[in-house]
Amino acid sequence: MAAGQEEPLDNTTWVETPEQVRFRYHVAGPTRRYLAYLIDLVIRGLAFLIISILVGVATGGGTNVSGLGTGMLLVLIFGMEWGYYVLFETLWNGRTPGKRALGLRVVKEGGYPLSFMDSVLRTLLRAADGLPPAFGFLPTYASGVLTAAVDKRFRRLGDRVASTMVVIEEPVRVAAAIVIDPAPTRAELDLLPARPPLSADEIEALDLFLRRNTLSEARRHELAAIVSPSFARRMGTTARDPLRFLEVLYVRIREQTVRKRDEGAPRTGAAA
Amino acid sequence: MKESQEAFVARRSKDWDALRDLLAHEKALHRMGAQAIATAGNLYRNTASDLMQARANGFTPDLVHALDQLAARAHSGLYSAPPYRLRAIAELLLFDFPATLRRHTRAFWIATALFVLPALLGFSTAFISRHAAMQILPEQMVESAEKMYSDGFDGRDEGTDASMAGFYIRNNVGIAFQCFATGILLGIGSIFYLVYNGLTIGTFAGLVTASGYGINLLTFVSGHGAFELTAIVIAGAAGIVMGYSLVATKGLTRMGSLQASARDIAQLVMGAALMLVAAAFIEGFWSPSGIPMRVKWIVSALLWLFVIVYLSFAGKARRRLRAKAST
Repeated sequence: MAAGQEEPLDNTTWVETPEQVRFRYHVAGPTRRYLAYLIDLVIRGLAFLIISILVGVATGGGTNVSGLGTGMLLVLIFGMEWGYYVLFETLWNGRTPGKRALGLRVVKEGGYPLSFMDSVLRTLLRAADGLPPAFGFLPTYASGVLTAAVDKRFRRLGDRVASTMVVIEEPVRVAAAIVIDPAPTRAELDLLPARPPLSADEIEALDLFLRRNTLSEARRHELAAIVSPSFARRMGTTARDPLRFLEVLYVRIREQTVRKRDEGAPRTGAAA
Repeated sequence: MKESQEAFVARRSKDWDALRDLLAHEKALHRMGAQAIATAGNLYRNTASDLMQARANGFTPDLVHALDQLAARAHSGLYSAPPYRLRAIAELLLFDFPATLRRHTRAFWIATALFVLPALLGFSTAFISRHAAMQILPEQMVESAEKMYSDGFDGRDEGTDASMAGFYIRNNVGIAFQCFATGILLGIGSIFYLVYNGLTIGTFAGLVTASGYGINLLTFVSGHGAFELTAIVIAGAAGIVMGYSLVATKGLTRMGSLQASARDIAQLVMGAALMLVAAAFIEGFWSPSGIPMRVKWIVSALLWLFVIVYLSFAGKARRRLRAKAST
């Protein structure tokens, strides 16, 4: 995903930092979190398998695993069941290998990193969120998914007790500027007012629409035909080709901000 | 005066890239030296103000989103949680755990009653009627256990001891965690597990006693029981505290009330878990050993005394110290 314009608004949450900066976190939904859980489950299973083979070879050899080896293995299962999440979430600042693979991170509700005790609490509550178990031992997380589904920030029981949430964290690059081909001519641009009367939201919608190149040409025209006449009426003109009209309008708006550009007061960047 | 988006991106993207590069090996951000941290801090603050500017100027959503993400990632890289040191575990055991438990005596006694009363009921039922007891426990388990206790204990090999200790850690701590966690259902889960465990343990003890081997069982259980039974009750009590915080909110929202009790709950469960690990070692190595019964009884009495004194008094000294420090 190049830019997050498809993200619906209902899975974002605002966080305000001590610097008085507000930014948005994208709360992770059920599918991603479940996949992360499955990845962690496979990793734990494989790790256990490998270590149990090693212990078997080292202590008893063959099938006759000694008592000490069995004891260690049982402690290891215990560690895998309860320690795995606490260990990784504490060491990796809210991530486990599975969460890392899916770009997830556990954070406190204020956007802060979670502490050891938070991780302990949300891990302990897995015993309730994991219910009911499949085959008597494998947590299905049905109750976790259900309780999360009724929460705005998709928190399972453990998240609520520990006041944590799971957010999506992916590096996003700034998308390239929109290129209109063929470039609008001066004559085309001058047909529109120098300051097109569009609200910020409308400009944003226009930007999103022009960036969305996954739509078929016919569909683009169809959508443009819905909105163009209303924009055109506002500007006292008519949109002969609705799509072209929107493209030219977009360039006109951008051109206007370029013309108003403040060229004094260049700011120095951060000290390198 | 507004700067165009293109000029803005051209002017600032060098800093964003620098910050992104720093975050690429973000795991080691705190190990990169003062210079790098200061740089990252500067870049983060500038990016944050870029974000505000981009939003205020109505720049395109993709730019705002990219800056949002960058600021958020830098934020989690720069602000990390206070490290949890081993010292904290010592403090938990020496002061916080017993002190927190004493703040929740009511929940503790309720949990004790929910465990002990069904245990007594199970015990007397089994003592009176073996047939009735068999409705509670599977027959096969009872027979193999009776055989075990009729033989008494004359020591096993160390390998078996170690494997049993491992089994007790996994099994009992797991039970305690489940007993706690299901308390989120308004305490009902914890109550269920306390009653269920009390009933089965009591019934089992009643059956063994009825067959005349009660003294063997008592000798076996009394040592680690000091830690194990107490810890299960404490885990249940923690679950009850959690469930009750959802019912009696003391003017907070339900979530707020739950989160306000979270710290206490975590301390109780951690303490109980550590007690269970101690119990597992006693149960694995000491309880089944061939040491004479009298010695075992004396040790058991000392262990119970230790647990009672520990839970009743540990951590009080620190409060006095703190009170002194604050006056």
